[in-house]
Amino acid sequence: MSAALRRIGTAALAAVSATAAFLAFLAFSHGATTFGTLAGPIPALDLTVGVLPVAGVFCALLAVLDAALAAWCVRRGRAIETLLLAAFSSAMLLVLCAQSVALFFFGWELCAIVSVFLVATHHERREVRRAAFVYLVFSQAGAACVLVALALLGAHAHSPSFARIAAAAASLPQTTRYAVLGLSLVGFGSKAGLLPLHFWLPRAHPVAPAHASALLSGGMLQIALYALLLVATILAAPAGAAAGIAFIAVGTLTAVGGVVYALVDRDLKRLLAYSSVENAGIVTLALGAAMLLVAKGNPLGAALALTAASFHALNHGLFKGLLFLCAGAVADAEGTVDLERLGGLRRNLPWTAAAMLVACLAAAGLPPLNAFSSEWLTFRSLLQLFALHDEPTGFAALGAIAGLALAGGLAPATFVKVFGIAFLGRARRAPKAEQARERFDTSSLATSGLAACCVALGVFPLVAFAPLARVSAALTGSAPPALPSLPLLPLGLVLLPLLGAAASFALTRSPNNARRTATWTCGSPVTSASQYTSTAFSKPLRRVFSTVLAPAQTRTFGSGESPWFPKHIEYRTENRYLIDEAARRLGALTIRAARRSRVVQSGSLRLYLAYALVAMIVAVGAAAR
Amino acid sequence: MTGLLQALALVACAPLLQGAMRSLRARLAGRPGPSLLQPYRDLAKLCGKEALLPDDVSPLVRVAPGIVFGVALTFAATVPFFAAGALEATVDVVALAFLLGLGRFVLTLAALDTRSAFAGMAASREASFGGLVEPALLLALLGAAVSGGGTRFSALSTLPLDAASTLAFAAFALVVLVETARVPIDNQETHYELTMIHEGLLLEYSGAQLALLQAAAYVKQIAFFAVAALLLPGDAWWAHAGWMAALAIAVTLVETALAKLRLFEVPQVLGAAFILAATSIGLHVVGGLG
Repeated sequence: MSAALRRIGTAALAAVSATAAFLAFLAFSHGATTFGTLAGPIPALDLTVGVLPVAGVFCALLAVLDAALAAWCVRRGRAIETLLLAAFSSAMLLVLCAQSVALFFFGWELCAIVSVFLVATHHERREVRRAAFVYLVFSQAGAACVLVALALLGAHAHSPSFARIAAAAASLPQTTRYAVLGLSLVGFGSKAGLLPLHFWLPRAHPVAPAHASALLSGGMLQIALYALLLVATILAAPAGAAAGIAFIAVGTLTAVGGVVYALVDRDLKRLLAYSSVENAGIVTLALGAAMLLVAKGNPLGAALALTAASFHALNHGLFKGLLFLCAGAVADAEGTVDLERLGGLRRNLPWTAAAMLVACLAAAGLPPLNAFSSEWLTFRSLLQLFALHDEPTGFAALGAIAGLALAGGLAPATFVKVFGIAFLGRARRAPKAEQARERFDTSSLATSGLAACCVALGVFPLVAFAPLARVSAALTGSAPPALPSLPLLPLGLVLLPLLGAAASFALTRSPNNARRTATWTCGSPVTSASQYTSTAFSKPLRRVFSTVLAPAQTRTFGSGESPWFPKHIEYRTENRYLIDEAARRLGALTIRAARRSRVVQSGSLRLYLAYALVAMIVAVGAAAR
Repeated sequence: MTGLLQALALVACAPLLQGAMRSLRARLAGRPGPSLLQPYRDLAKLCGKEALLPDDVSPLVRVAPGIVFGVALTFAATVPFFAAGALEATVDVVALAFLLGLGRFVLTLAALDTRSAFAGMAASREASFGGLVEPALLLALLGAAVSGGGTRFSALSTLPLDAASTLAFAAFALVVLVETARVPIDNQETHYELTMIHEGLLLEYSGAQLALLQAAAYVKQIAFFAVAALLLPGDAWWAHAGWMAALAIAVTLVETALAKLRLFEVPQVLGAAFILAATSIGLHVVGGLG
């Protein structure tokens, strides 16, 4: 039974992957394509299916992720999860090829509901139920915003079709435009984890099984960014300079906030979720730069910024999917993803370690991996803003560059910690560390495939850059942006380091010219306890960001006979999550208000009839006026 | 071709600069000090020595010195001095910051892999301070790039002499102190593991591998000085050389005059560099913009 389910699920994932690949091909080769419209009972419910060129890159990302997940699910995870993953990714595909309001909203809701089941997989744990509940509430609140935004657009265009809406976008009244953009930023942005509506994400994404987290962080987040991009550059275009600055501000805040929280986290999967928040911020600020450049009459620059945004979304989807799959392999083998208890994983999991190293380099934005190219492009796009000679724009660009530089500097510190603490050194106290073994099956194919994609796009960024630049240029109505030094850039950059690595490796090959000895630790034995821990590693930066993190430390000494020779010392440090606390307080207030309002619901029929009467009198009174 | 020659010249002179600064520092402290050529002799001696490696480490520990040296070479091949850098078209200021990040990433991982608490301590500090100095470096160079009109290194030599460029230079000067492990921040000559940052990462290295890492540090240092000289007025090679000598003397004076900062005060210096660089861009934005 379960085997059959698994086979169906895997096949379905593969089928979704193939469909997504086909759609991506269509989007890039044929441009905007409409497959047909299913007329609804009323025109507002028309379902139009088609694919826009902007959706192409996201279809391609989904195709790669689903192919990897199909390979992963042959041996890992439970059968039912495989089916849910297939349903989830087809819902995402539906969002990507929805060309009318009703279908888009249907797909969006389907994504939310299916993914709640994935998040709630381990519902026997209380915090999982809580995370799933918060996620559900947020999805629905966000969906309400999305619905209003889409309804506003549809009402203005007198049509639910995206093509009509786009055609009517230029004549949108300014207030409606800002309302639509604001509601999208809340609705889609909360799904993408933009600050300050991010706090559900680091709870919900990590508690799902790893392959589901991979699809949530690698796929769903990018779909939300696609939706944001769709509204900002097509459905409500031109968005205007103020909206661009707002997007840049939110994106910058998100990028810095995400990386600071990722830095200090000790739960590998939650750390990865915070890093997703960071990357969503980078994409949003690049998108904001594009909006600003369009508003200020530099379509060529805007095309470059849009290319950077969509390229980074693609790259983030790839490496984040890989990171979560590797985290899944770690969790399967070691029984925990707590960085304080992991160590020396490269010995037991050499294959996963290699893939993880690629993913960590990519997530740190270092050359020659893929995210380096897109972050570099984002810097280039932001620099163009200075040439506009406009003070608000200049300051927005300054803020964005400072934020992006900070995120770009702190991301390597984060991922050095991840790889250095968990994969290098010696084993610590993982529950199953002794019997942990690498599993060489199709799941290794999944991780190595994704790693190969990260390397390939890193070494040959032009493969993605050229088509993306074409699509972005068509959106902003300019010639495709060209970059003279890009094709050579990543390889030329790392050529000498690579040669150096080879030389240095050869230099220490034979034990004759590099004798192996014990590590020197002042004569004391080298144990796993002498290694630096994750919490200790991030201590200097925890101090630097203490205003945000407000770390609280407690030390308890277990004294033996003498107070001067404690038997054990317990050291505990907690960071504060200010936004989460505010949200929790707001949630408590909402629930209290809801309880109070229960007074009016007595359950007595006469009282309800009286309410109806009063409402009618008020309505008639208002109408008579 | 001249670019290649220039890179070779910079690499060849890198230990000399180190030797000069070291003996100047010794003179200022009232010691006779080593000869100018001592760093060359040190490197040669190290290359002839047997190398020891900690047992049971990953290949990362073995490749890290090569990668770090390669990064330093790339840096030296990018900076214009008397001609355009050989890798000028490939490496702009943004790419350089990320490239230095790559070297730091690999070296930090290698240190963590040795399992020594000292190396872990140094790795934590290097990653943290590196994470803060890289944004400052990027912002300082981008501030100069915004004034100079391009992210290529050759564009940095045509800076106007104004407040924005001055602030960008000030920020970059602080960055140079950090990146070359100079005294208020770090101490190259310390033998006390608890205070080491950069040296702490190298604890487990010996022989030719250590020589590679030290040479990388020398090359990185001369390249950073060359970029700093680029930000100062004057476009001819002798102007660059003069500024570099002046900077070397200034840095040595700073090293002699100041005591090492407490470790947790270092981020304030990095923050100051970051704010200075941001202010330089801000001035550029406000100042009507050339």
